[in-house]
Amino acid sequence: MYYVADVKEKECAKYNCKQCVLFCPEPNTLMYHDSKHVAWVNYGRCKGCAICVYVCSDLLKRNCIEMVMVTAGD
Amino acid sequence: MGLEYVRISPGFEKYMPKDYVDLVQFGPFGKQIDVQQLGQFKELVEEHPMCAGCFMAYFVRIFYASLPNPEDTIVIGTAGCARLALSQAAVPFIYGNYGDTNAVASGLKRALSIRFPDKVKDVVVIAGDGGLIDIGFGMTMHSWFRREKFTTIMVDNEVYGNTGGQESGMSPKGVQLKMAPKGKQFDKINAVELAKTAGCVYVAKLAPTNPKRIAKTVKRAILAARHFGPTFIHAYTSCNIEYSIPTEKVLEDARKREKQDFGFYEWMTDEVKEFFEEIERQKEEVKA
Ligand SMILES: Cc1ncc(C[n+]2csc(CCOP(=O)(O)OP(=O)(O)O)c2C)c(N)n1
Ligand code: SF4
Ligand code: SF4
Ligand code: SF4
Ligand SMILES: [Mg+2]
Repeated sequence: MYYVADVKEKECAKYNCKQCVLFCPEPNTLMYHDSKHVAWVNYGRCKGCAICVYVCSDLLKRNCIEMVMVTAGD
Repeated sequence: MGLEYVRISPGFEKYMPKDYVDLVQFGPFGKQIDVQQLGQFKELVEEHPMCAGCFMAYFVRIFYASLPNPEDTIVIGTAGCARLALSQAAVPFIYGNYGDTNAVASGLKRALSIRFPDKVKDVVVIAGDGGLIDIGFGMTMHSWFRREKFTTIMVDNEVYGNTGGQESGMSPKGVQLKMAPKGKQFDKINAVELAKTAGCVYVAKLAPTNPKRIAKTVKRAILAARHFGPTFIHAYTSCNIEYSIPTEKVLEDARKREKQDFGFYEWMTDEVKEFFEEIERQKEEVKA
């Protein structure tokens, strides 16, 4: 079991934002949907650092990302 | 490399790994990608074993999204954490022996200009504070004295991260580390002033708080090295392991250090300044 980031799509869609995507340390992990304008996480690549949560919640006060527990293979 | 090496021979697409096919189709080769497009194209750097939340890994990610010509770039690294990601990118990577990066880069850049006289090949060294300013100090300095035309980027985590926390010349005075229990006795070396004195034509210092600015700085350092001489970027890239920074506070730490002692700094010779002003003028004309 380990933590990964999860974007609350409905919340994120309100903002047309992308800021978290530009601060994730991992490549090809926190992605941005071209037409829906929402961030999404490639769970298999996320290392669970929560820097994206800092960007979305602490800096932008938007609270659209949470850390969730997953089990390998989910 | 060159674009002809990137392309998949017709008929072989279905046998290639998916990540490679994605890279050819949706990667930055042959395109001018803007760093703001991250998350919407296939990045050059792949999964790697650097620690969760490592801002040196973040810098490497932004670096690869900033290359003006990835298909004609060669990256040189060495022992230290950064090479764990540098070696996982779709850009040729040479592992210089520890301390030797700038000597290897000097020879490589000269050989490339003989082998490909009418092509531009960019050479970039990315190495740690230990690799460049302690153990590689002599070779770093002499590549600058000789005015070798390549870019040196120091990813400064203020410690020997990869070997478990010895102090480096770049650790701040007084800091206690696992293998420097008495606290560092000497000041942090002023690498930026050394680079200016030794003959670099473009020198910058930054903390990774603004991806657009990192990209602009990397591009400028590479372009100035192509035409004029050695260039140097001193980047603060924290080690959350050795400095015990909770991963979710890594960006907060970078912002704090930017205010304290890593405020953005950029210096260049008059010749380089004129060169960039001319590029800006041309861009304005295209827009108008
Ligand atoms: C010639 C040589 N001496 C020593 C080492 C052991 N060594 C590996 S990484 C490292 C220190 C790395 O520190 P730094 O260059 O600051 O990179 P970081 O890991 O902090 O990014 C050392 C001393 C080596 N690999 N080769
Ligand atoms: S920072 Fe928050 S609102 Fe902005 S793109 Fe990321 S998840 Fe969406
Ligand atoms: S938790 Fe870290 S690795 Fe995962 S998406 Fe957020 S910033 Fe990226
Ligand atoms: S040891 Fe430090 S510098 Fe090296 S990968 Fe881990 S956090 Fe990054
Ligand atoms: Mg170091």
